[in-house]
Amino acid sequence: MNNVPGNVLEVKGLEVVYSTNRGDVKAVRGIDLDVRRGEILGIAGESGSGKSTLAVALLRLLKAPGKVNGGSVMFHPAGRSPVDLLKVQGEELRVLRWSALSYLPQGSMSSLNPVMRVEEQFKDVILEHAPARKDSLGELIPRLLGQVGLEPRVGRMYPHELSGGMKQRVLMAIAVALEPDLVIADEPTTALDVTIQRVILQSLADLRTDFGVTLMVISHDMGVHAQLADRVAVMYEGRLVEVGDVRQVFKDPRDPYTRQLIESIPKLGRRAS
Amino acid sequence: MTAEAPPAVAVDKSQDSAPRTGVRAWLSRHPLAAYAIRRFGLYLVELWGALTIAFFFFRLMPGDPVQTLIQTLQQNYVYNAQASTELIARYRHEFGLDGNLLTQYLVYMQKLILHGDLGPSLINYPTPAQTVILRSLPWTIGLLGISAVMAWIFGVIIGAIAGWRRGKLGSAIATNLSIALSHVPYFFVALILVYVFAYSMGLLPARSAYDSNINPGISFAFIGSVLKYGLLPGLSIVIIGTFSWILSTRMLMIPILGEDYLVYAEAKGLKNSRILTRYALRNCYLPQITAFGISLGFIFNGNVLVEQLFNYPGLGTTLVTAIQQLDFNTILGVTDIAIFSVLTAVLLLDLLLPLLDPRVKYWK
Repeated sequence: MNNVPGNVLEVKGLEVVYSTNRGDVKAVRGIDLDVRRGEILGIAGESGSGKSTLAVALLRLLKAPGKVNGGSVMFHPAGRSPVDLLKVQGEELRVLRWSALSYLPQGSMSSLNPVMRVEEQFKDVILEHAPARKDSLGELIPRLLGQVGLEPRVGRMYPHELSGGMKQRVLMAIAVALEPDLVIADEPTTALDVTIQRVILQSLADLRTDFGVTLMVISHDMGVHAQLADRVAVMYEGRLVEVGDVRQVFKDPRDPYTRQLIESIPKLGRRAS
Repeated sequence: MTAEAPPAVAVDKSQDSAPRTGVRAWLSRHPLAAYAIRRFGLYLVELWGALTIAFFFFRLMPGDPVQTLIQTLQQNYVYNAQASTELIARYRHEFGLDGNLLTQYLVYMQKLILHGDLGPSLINYPTPAQTVILRSLPWTIGLLGISAVMAWIFGVIIGAIAGWRRGKLGSAIATNLSIALSHVPYFFVALILVYVFAYSMGLLPARSAYDSNINPGISFAFIGSVLKYGLLPGLSIVIIGTFSWILSTRMLMIPILGEDYLVYAEAKGLKNSRILTRYALRNCYLPQITAFGISLGFIFNGNVLVEQLFNYPGLGTTLVTAIQQLDFNTILGVTDIAIFSVLTAVLLLDLLLPLLDPRVKYWK
């Protein structure tokens, strides 16, 4: 089972807790999960199920009082030696970021630096990890923006001049700027209206086709997973209750909680009782 | 009325219906210029208002400067009652004290605006007050101005690092030291410095602005002497100023650290130094710029004690002497200089802020 060539990420027994005065609160309680190269893996679950904690832990952005209590996360970036994401430190981790492991936050959050032009926020991360591309930046940034359906002039704008949907697309373009092995997307469609959500989902699917990235999409919205994901993992109270092919999970959910989640998707033409 | 957008204009909805020619059209096409003009107009009004208030306020002071002058003269010359009536009238005219208050005000403003003339100084009669002030102004700007700028730069840098590395030992030391020392008055630190470096160790001079044996001029000896004499008073201001800037910068810095864009910058794998300067500090230093502009005002009135203590020939010393002698024109002149400097500094900062932060937009 160890080091299956087709896996980008192998999570084993991951445990994350938040320390409080009254003892540790377990947010992630021993998760085993493989992410296959090139797939879109959906992580589903209600608020407080631990899915965002899982994402921050994998991204190594977990802040006190959160701490990883155990487990291993083997990461297999293409052309580099595999590393345990929970053990890399300092410079080794910093170099790994973005070029191999990138992050797509929720666009409605203020993830873009308000005082930097959009193109500057592409530039700094590209030059940090791939300084050789300095000369092609003038062509690269408009191309990346075009990939997510934005005009080149957006590069000259500041974040406060963009709408929520535009910000989400900018973040998507930045996320794939260095063709990372894995993009972890935390609620990429939350707080966008449904028409924009659809467009964003389509763009995410296109990014996979165009860049061949592996996507891990965290969302509470089962509709997102139905449209986007190849496989879906359902979390409940810090545990994985079900992992499987998206069709199989929706058609024939094995876990009662998964069934409830699917049934909670609002359907048109049916009154809430 | 067809509303075609003028071809050379970039993006602005408000231009569609604006007339194509004339001043208004030009202003609507150049919002920054329109803002600058409006802001400058406001500056002139503020300046006029403040100078006017200062003028009338000082006329309310009890005491008659001319009587004081006459008394001084009496001590030196034989008293001549007949001549003194004429003399008083002449002095009244020269000091701008004849006629009613409104006439005095108009004459004062006319002289000030047209000739930059503040009237004769009483203590240095017949030297004009502006000459007295200009003599001491370079010392004040040199000592207090440079110290204030240095304190700001040190304070913002150390404060940013203290905020960034909060929880670490070095940060805790800097913070607690700042809390303890930032409210200690300048002169108290100055006294300690004088005791240690001038009195006990005898390393540095504690009085005057330069060695009186050296002729003032552009020479290494003189400049060296000025630096040596300015070290202790300057140091006392820099030390205390730095501590208070550390505290306020740290306070601005800490809430920024929880922002999403800092987490994002970390996820991007940027170097810490870059995150600190371009992401954290860049988003919180604006209030410090404004605060610096306002603090410039204290250069002209807040550091009287430091200048007194070191017998430094700056504006503060001049002001104290002028107040003791009821030297109207000099007191008012120093006040006018302070008003002018603070308002001008705030004007420049207001015009500068939109360039420093893209989110700042005063114009529509």
